[in-house]
Amino acid sequence: MMSLPFLLFACGLGAAWLRQRGAAMGFWVAGLVVLLVLFRVYMSDVLNIAL
Amino acid sequence: MPGDLSRLLNALGLILVDAVLALAFVDQLWFRDLPCPLCILQRAGFIAAGFGLALNMIFGPRPSHYGMTILGAATGAAISIRQILLHIVPGSGSYGNDILGLHLYTWAFIAFALMIIGSALLLLDDRQFARTEPWSSNLNVLPLTAFMVFVVLAVGNVISTLLICGGSLCPDAPTGYLVP
Repeated sequence: MMSLPFLLFACGLGAAWLRQRGAAMGFWVAGLVVLLVLFRVYMSDVLNIAL
Repeated sequence: MPGDLSRLLNALGLILVDAVLALAFVDQLWFRDLPCPLCILQRAGFIAAGFGLALNMIFGPRPSHYGMTILGAATGAAISIRQILLHIVPGSGSYGNDILGLHLYTWAFIAFALMIIGSALLLLDDRQFARTEPWSSNLNVLPLTAFMVFVVLAVGNVISTLLICGGSLCPDAPTGYLVP
């Protein structure tokens, strides 16, 4: 699951190489959304920054 | 700024992103410093940010591509800030090796901030977007090399992350590869 953003970005780069700009941007958006979801998953711990 | 100069600057920017991702691999493979989950997400942030630079080289500079770079870098910066805050209180430890007194996540935040500033500066010049003749379908050596290395590093991160985390979420402090 953690490799999914990289996979989506790699697919987007492949689409860009094939001159498919819309598909490349679509893969980028999907990758960024997955990245944000994974960040949310790992952001669940409360920060301990009390002095 | 002519479009060709813009393309060159984007290629140089992508080479810097390539260098950051390559250094992360050097730290992982040479110094056996396995990336934590947030470190892996910061790598993904670098690829998300570099993606816009790559599109600028292939399709020509467009404001939307710079927007992609800024959004990717902002996401990466948010992740690195989160990791900095995890260790900001004295005595709360740190993760991984430090370079020149700063940990990799602090350097990552600086790099993301520089990418946002650099993209904003490049966006200031409208002349690069006013190109009338079509872009050459052939990339020069420098942009082509930057792009190819970027693709290799993106695919390398797919493989590396699969080896460290398998098909699910990563352990908080990985001690070895799940797939030997």
